[in-house]
Amino acid sequence: MTGPSGSGKTTLLRCIAGLEVVDSGTIHLSGEEITAKPAHLRRIGLVFQDNQLFPHLNVAENVAYSLKLQRVSKNLVDEKVAEVLELVGLAHLARREIIKLSGGEAKRIAVARALVAQPKVLLLDEPLNGLDPELHTRLLEDLGNLLRSRGTTTLHVTHDQDEARAIANRVLDIRELKSH
Amino acid sequence: MINAYRHTSKWLVIVPVIAMLVFVVAPVLNIFSMAIQIDSFALLTTPTTRNVVWFTTWQAIISTIMVLLFAIPIAAITANFDFFGRRMLISLISVPFILPTVVVGVAFLELLPTSIHRSALAIIIAHIYFNFGLVVRIISNRWQQIHPYLDDVARTLGASRTRLFLTVTLPLLKKSLRSAGLLVFLMCFTSYGVVRILGGPAKSTIETEIYFQAMQLGDVSGALVLSISQLVVVGVLILLTTQFGTTNSAEFGQTVYSRIRRPQNLGQKLFIASIALMSTFAVLAPLVSVVRRSILVGERINFFAWHVIFTDPEIFKSLTTSLKYAIFTIAVSTTIGLFSACAIVYGSTRYKFLNILTALPVVVSAVTLGLGLIITFDVNPIDWRGAWLMMPIAHCLVAIPIVMRIISPTIRDLPNGLRDASQTLGATSWQMWRTIDLRIMQPALLTAAAVACAVSLGEFGASSFLVRRNNETLPLMISRLLGRPGEIIQAQAYAIATLLIVACVAIIGVVDHFGTDKRAI
Repeated sequence: MTGPSGSGKTTLLRCIAGLEVVDSGTIHLSGEEITAKPAHLRRIGLVFQDNQLFPHLNVAENVAYSLKLQRVSKNLVDEKVAEVLELVGLAHLARREIIKLSGGEAKRIAVARALVAQPKVLLLDEPLNGLDPELHTRLLEDLGNLLRSRGTTTLHVTHDQDEARAIANRVLDIRELKSH
Repeated sequence: MINAYRHTSKWLVIVPVIAMLVFVVAPVLNIFSMAIQIDSFALLTTPTTRNVVWFTTWQAIISTIMVLLFAIPIAAITANFDFFGRRMLISLISVPFILPTVVVGVAFLELLPTSIHRSALAIIIAHIYFNFGLVVRIISNRWQQIHPYLDDVARTLGASRTRLFLTVTLPLLKKSLRSAGLLVFLMCFTSYGVVRILGGPAKSTIETEIYFQAMQLGDVSGALVLSISQLVVVGVLILLTTQFGTTNSAEFGQTVYSRIRRPQNLGQKLFIASIALMSTFAVLAPLVSVVRRSILVGERINFFAWHVIFTDPEIFKSLTTSLKYAIFTIAVSTTIGLFSACAIVYGSTRYKFLNILTALPVVVSAVTLGLGLIITFDVNPIDWRGAWLMMPIAHCLVAIPIVMRIISPTIRDLPNGLRDASQTLGATSWQMWRTIDLRIMQPALLTAAAVACAVSLGEFGASSFLVRRNNETLPLMISRLLGRPGEIIQAQAYAIATLLIVACVAIIGVVDHFGTDKRAI
């Protein structure tokens, strides 16, 4: 989804994730209306622009967060965390403190954390905003490959039309939605 | 070091150093030297001493735990929600901490049933009342430094609000909870006014026992030994507080985020309403009981006590004495605090020792300070025990650490670029200091002055040792009146307590309006 700054892209994502109260209209996921469903029960992942990794947890603990909430066994947690860290190419950083991560590494960890929870839909709020051009290009390609390999339905929000066309199967401008 | 002021800074240290050395360090060293000359170990191991130390410790532990349990829900609503009366609630819960301890004591003496007077429960309840507001502000400040998107992430990962609190919020608040807990423990461990009023002879802490031994029994040896043990424990606690007080920059910056939002559902509204109402009632009930008792004599409304406190020469003298000492404390403690803070910031690192020197009165405790002053300045030519100046000096010493803590950050955080700009525009050092540093410092100085005033008006510990016939302050007058029989006389004590409450509420208003730490809620 594209659109200029201030057009409501982030607000829409937050409504879908259940983080904002909807004034009007409904939200449906896989045929089920989820408008009133609490955020923690929707199984919709959200990756923020500035990642929002938990500062009191290391990389592996951040990624394992949702699994521990589901009371998954320790062995299975370790296995899934290792698997997804391998997928994003950061298995060697499992014990690293968050503050010591580079921008690109933090972005991958944020995506890994959202993916390990196996969300029905993944929301990406301008995930590549503010990155230097080389990192931006590299992460864009990696992100696209990762999400396609997992088959995760993703709503990627950006104001960059080129980025949208490079990664998405379908591009929609929020202004088109609003005009309906 | 600020180059523009480097020549001035060395002159600024003189007065603070002399004041601290003469009136804090010398008395403390005297206590130690006198304690060495007596059989301290034997005195420390008597059953009375052991009981006093044990009681002091366990009531402080229970008080601390209860304060934290009370404070967390209130911090939760003030840090996260916008609701009607939010700012007023924040100001209101700050009132108990700034009240004189003797006023808190008499408030609960009136409010609590007679059956629990002179009990540990009464003391613990009063401690909770006295300290919970401070802890709410500490925790709420830290809570607002947690980015709200961290909550959102946790929720999208499956955390209910309870799990969010337990797995994200609480771990991130751990350090502030620990430092707040240590601070409260320190306050309860060295509690004096509350224990003297509510505890009675059977419930004695180290502080009240020091007073009892020195001033009632005339057993200075016993008092000295207790003072030393108090110093050691408090010193260790201060070190721990300093250790846990430093925040991990990886977890927090200094940014306060806009976590405040309107409640989104009925459950949140009910939670906020119940916490806000209970807090308001908890703060106001003791204060109302003080006012009520001041106008209630034998179940009938009677304003005679109020008439007496403004016409009785003895009580009126206490009023004027308290005001004079408060003005003295404002002038002297703010000046010494300003000099010290400027010397530390403007000067080279060799003046950093002033941080420790000016913090010593916190380690020493007011009661030990009072004891130290009377046993040190008791021989000619420095027999100053009876001098009128000793009590306001003691008030200043108690106020200085707090004044420093208010003024120092403002000077330290002042961007040096402003001074550079001033100089390039032609300002001399004095002009620069007056138009830049002093100008920006004004809110902090006003806050420091207001707090110094509150400290002086309520000081009871050191004053108990330094009181003479002609220098009784309002807290001392309250204590004396309560010890005399008669409803009218007791009502007078409560009328004086009401005056102190009004003064403290006004001071809170000044502090909140001109408060330097705008992050603070």
